[in-house]
Amino acid sequence: MKCEHIAELLPDYLQGRLSAEQHHNVEAHLEQCADCSEEVVIWRKLSLLPVDQPDPASRARFEAMLQAYKAGRSNQPEGGTEWRKRASVWSWNVFHWLRSPLGAAAWGAALLAIGVFAGLRLAGPKPPSLDLAAMQSELASMKQLVVLSMLQQQSASARLEGVTWSTRDQQLDPQVLSALLHTLRYDASVDVRLAALDALSRHGRQPQVHKAILDSLQQQQSPLVQVALIDLLLEWRDPDAAQRLQALQQAPNLNPTVRQRVEWARSKLN
Amino acid sequence: MTLAPDEDLMLQVRDGAGETLGVLFDRYQTPLFNFYSKLTGDRTLSEDLVQEVFLRILKYRQSYRPGTPFRAWVYQIARNARIDHFRKFPPQTALEPEMLPPVLPTDSAQEQQEVELLQRALQQLPEEKREILLLCRFQELKYEEIAVLLGCELNTVRTRIHRALQDLRKAFHQLAHGTMLKKAEAAAAESIPPRGGRHEV
Repeated sequence: MKCEHIAELLPDYLQGRLSAEQHHNVEAHLEQCADCSEEVVIWRKLSLLPVDQPDPASRARFEAMLQAYKAGRSNQPEGGTEWRKRASVWSWNVFHWLRSPLGAAAWGAALLAIGVFAGLRLAGPKPPSLDLAAMQSELASMKQLVVLSMLQQQSASARLEGVTWSTRDQQLDPQVLSALLHTLRYDASVDVRLAALDALSRHGRQPQVHKAILDSLQQQQSPLVQVALIDLLLEWRDPDAAQRLQALQQAPNLNPTVRQRVEWARSKLN
Repeated sequence: MTLAPDEDLMLQVRDGAGETLGVLFDRYQTPLFNFYSKLTGDRTLSEDLVQEVFLRILKYRQSYRPGTPFRAWVYQIARNARIDHFRKFPPQTALEPEMLPPVLPTDSAQEQQEVELLQRALQQLPEEKREILLLCRFQELKYEEIAVLLGCELNTVRTRIHRALQDLRKAFHQLAHGTMLKKAEAAAAESIPPRGGRHEV
C-alpha cells in the first residue's frame, strides 16, 4: 500500500473508525514508512499540549452578563420574541456603520426623528400600545448601540462620552455591562477607566457586578484606579475586603501611594 | 447519577431557564477558551470571545432546534464570533512565541522540549490548518460535525486533516533540527579554547 492510499485512511485510523482489515493494512504500512508513522506519533503527542486555564474572574463576568440580560428581558414587552429577533439582526448590521462619527451624528438625528414621531403618535387618537412598547424598546436598543460604538472609538474623549452615555439608563444592558467591565480593565486611558468605574459602581448593588468590579483590583496597573477601587472596597463594606487588600499589598512593584492607601484602608477595617 | 446531556440543558435555556446556562458555561468555558487561545495566542481576546459566545447563545437561543448536537452548534457560534471580531479588528501582529502559554513541568525534560516544539510548530501552521487540528483533536468534534461547520464534504475534511498533519510534522521536524544544530554549535563553542596572544595586535 502506498502513502497516497494511506492518506485517505489515516484520519479515520486516528479516530479508530476503520474496519479490521483496513486497520491491519494501515499498520502494515506504518511499520515500513517513517513519514506516515511520524504523523501518527505527532497526532498522539498533540494530546500532551497543556490546557490553558481561563481567568477565574471569567465566571463572575459571565454571571454579571446573565443577570443583566435577565433584568433587561423583564423590561421587554410580552410576546415580542420575533420582533426582538429581527431587531437584533438589524442592529448587528448597522453596528459597523455606527462606528464612524458620521454614523453617530446620523443616529442623533434619527433619535430626534423617532422622538417627534413617538410624540405625534402619543398625541394621536388611541395609539396601539404594542407599537409604543416596541418603540420604547427600539429606543433603548439604539442607546445601547450608541454606547457600544462609542466605547470602541480610537479617541479617548469619544470613549469617555460613551461611558457617560451608559449612565443614562437605570438598567444596564448585558452587552454594555460587559463592554464597561472590559473598559475598566483594559482601556489605555486612565480617565476612561475611572469613568467606567464610576458608571459601574452605580450598579454595585447587583452582587455579580459588585464582584466583577472588585475582582478587577488585582489586575489594575494605574495607581489612580487602584486607589478608587480601594475606596469602593471600604464604602461597600465588602466581606472579602481584608483578604483583597492583603493580596494587593503583596503585589510586587506596588506604587508607594497605593501601598499607603492599602495600609490606611486596612487600619480602617480593624 | 448521570449528568444531564448538553442538549437537554440547552432546551431548558431556550425555554427560559437562563440560569441553566451556567452549567453549560462550566462545561464549555475551558474548551472554548483553549480553542481561541491556541488559535490566536491572545488570552484577553480569548476570554472576551468566550463571553461573546455565551451572550450569543442567550440572544439566539430560540434558533436552537431539538436534536442538534450542542457541541457542534456552540462551535458554529464560536467560529462566527471570531470571524466577526477579526472583520472588525483585523489582526495586526503575527503570533509570537512569547505569547504562548507556559509549558508546565512534565516528567522528563525531553518531553517538555517536545511539547514546546510542538506548540511552536502548531503556531507556524496557516490558521485554517491549525483550526481543523484543534477542532478534531482538542474539541473532539466528529468529522461529520466539522464538515457541517466548515461547509464542506466529509472527504474534504479528511484530506484537510491529513494535510494539516503533514505540515505539522514538517514544521516540527524543522524546529527540532534547528534546536539540535544550536545545541551542537553551543557545544562546539564551549570546546574551542580561547585564542592565543600571538593572534592579537
